[in-house]
Amino acid sequence: MDKRLRNALKGLSAADAERRRRAMEPFVRATFGMFIKYLYRYLGNEVECEDVLEDVYADIWEKPERLCNITSEKQLLKTVYLYYMRNRLREVYRRRNRNLYLSQNSLKDLIAPEIGALEMVSSSELQDILTQAMGKLKARERRAIELWMEGASSRAIANELKTTVGAIKMLEFRTILKLRKMLCYYNREE
Amino acid sequence: MSDTNREIHELLVDYADALRDGCIPAFLKSLTREEAERIASSWEFWDATEISRILNGVGFADKAVAPNVSLFISRVDAEIASRLKKSKASPPGKRRTRTRSAAKRENRT
Repeated sequence: MDKRLRNALKGLSAADAERRRRAMEPFVRATFGMFIKYLYRYLGNEVECEDVLEDVYADIWEKPERLCNITSEKQLLKTVYLYYMRNRLREVYRRRNRNLYLSQNSLKDLIAPEIGALEMVSSSELQDILTQAMGKLKARERRAIELWMEGASSRAIANELKTTVGAIKMLEFRTILKLRKMLCYYNREE
Repeated sequence: MSDTNREIHELLVDYADALRDGCIPAFLKSLTREEAERIASSWEFWDATEISRILNGVGFADKAVAPNVSLFISRVDAEIASRLKKSKASPPGKRRTRTRSAAKRENRT
């Protein structure tokens, strides 16, 4: 683990609340990038990510016990997700969903799911695994995903691939499922 | 009445688009009762959401990193200060027990 992060974590174990408060600054500086990128996976909105993360850090300040024996960044991310982020993520849309049709349980699974096989792989590792997997896709499937990742709408992708929006949605769905199989396989191999 | 409910593959792509564009609430609002039930019972949808999140993270998460962390740190500090103030102002455990016991006493009399 990074020395800066290790020192920042040490500061959090102080019993005095004011000392812990002072220790939050180096901790936030050391972890902000990692945490916000991770949250972005679930929310896709930087403003909401910051709001959730603000509460997550305050929760960590209040109850830092879970972070006492952290030895690696991966373990830190996993612990923070399980004990701090997940609760906050569940709250994000819960109130707004009250009058909608999706059950609160489904919403919980959608916004703050259990940790899947791939959820804890770091961004850089994922990038590598994804690039490998994309290389094994058919040209049309790969192009559809690439265009999606460039921000294109289904209609724009359909225009580019000269087909209908319905066909593109089916193609994306099947490709995503195919990618899941491939990524799980790569992840197990790693 | 025509069936306007979206199929599961359309729902997944709409969810992925909403996630990418940062408008999950709009997606949630767009769901009909049948679509919500379809989502709840489809394992394919749940499998695919994991990859949608990963694609979203790999493709777009970098833009969430604010250039000025100091500003964010001051927000966190303000939140901590407010919690600290609240906890100093009212020790929640004590106050609650006192009022409960007072209520109990009143009930007895």
